[in-house]
Amino acid sequence: MSAAKRVQQWATFGRMWYLYDAKWQNPFHSAEKIKKYLSGRSKPIYHPLSDCGDHVVVINSQDIALPGIEWEKRVYFHHTGYAKGASWTLAWELHQIDPTMILRKAVYNTLDKNLLRRGQMARLHIFPNEKVPDKILENISAQMRQVRQVPKRLDHYPEEEVVNFPKIFDWPKEHVIQ
Amino acid sequence: MSGKTWNLFWGSSFVRAPLQNGVGRYVQQLQRITFKFCKTHGGSSGMRDYIEKDLIEFARDNPGVVVYLKPRRHRSPCLKAEYLNGGEEYISTHMQSCEDVRKWVEYMRTRSGYPVERLRKYQHTDHPSIQGPWNPWIHRDPLVNIADFPQEELSAAHEYEKCATEEVLELFKKQKLPVSGGINEHHD
Repeated sequence: MSAAKRVQQWATFGRMWYLYDAKWQNPFHSAEKIKKYLSGRSKPIYHPLSDCGDHVVVINSQDIALPGIEWEKRVYFHHTGYAKGASWTLAWELHQIDPTMILRKAVYNTLDKNLLRRGQMARLHIFPNEKVPDKILENISAQMRQVRQVPKRLDHYPEEEVVNFPKIFDWPKEHVIQ
Repeated sequence: MSGKTWNLFWGSSFVRAPLQNGVGRYVQQLQRITFKFCKTHGGSSGMRDYIEKDLIEFARDNPGVVVYLKPRRHRSPCLKAEYLNGGEEYISTHMQSCEDVRKWVEYMRTRSGYPVERLRKYQHTDHPSIQGPWNPWIHRDPLVNIADFPQEELSAAHEYEKCATEEVLELFKKQKLPVSGGINEHHD
């Protein structure tokens, strides 16, 4: 390969480092999006054998939002392999023990079940808050869009907007709200 | 049942033309053709017929090809073709009719010198990319070059559906009712 073609090869197969903010995001929907970047399917040069996956750095994984009552109902099963080694852990308990685990398991379970999975998981870096090591921060080259719009808190709206919002209904003055 | 597959030991290659033949001018790749036959044996009768009837016409139509005739006693008839890039083709025409020999000669005339191998791809191009090959930094917002991550603008999700709050506000604006003294006061 000539010198010019070599540089073109490095450019085309360059590995990107993406940043993803998991605040207020559904980990399972996020996992579907992250999976595309880890495997390299977002690239037109994709091939399963050409090792074209990117790195994904996820921040704020402690602020993920599970749908509905899943925090109380979702159960993570683990067996150590030894006798009486079965354990059932609820999502909120697991999140307290390790705030990155839920997202990590979500991504692991959505990835294709082949030998490439372990390598793709090694390229996933999850952090519970915004504190990211400098070495990794230096590498980041682009940011992924979030899957879901972050809901805005009522007290974050400007006051006049709240006051002037067209109320459709209000309780009458004598009504006692129990 | 096993389907017909090309044996891996029979070789494979990409589509190619010797010296990019056909891109500009097409040059016939056949260099010389040798007709080996027996003057008396019955197996060469087809070839003898071909030599009597069609050979001179073939030689006239293809002035760039050298035609050799090798009458050999007690030998089965065959055709041997040699090509400009050094490739060779051997076909036995024993017990074949004049028609068959004609078809084989035509087959050899149109071959390039490359051996018959499985084609790995059915297309080849010397210019795979006109605008330049893809790299991960094309079609990307130039903001990423100077941005300090994490960046709010790049992270925010695209809005696809209007939420209920926005719809109510829009309906209200359409009706254009006064803000105070209308809806927002309690009814006693």
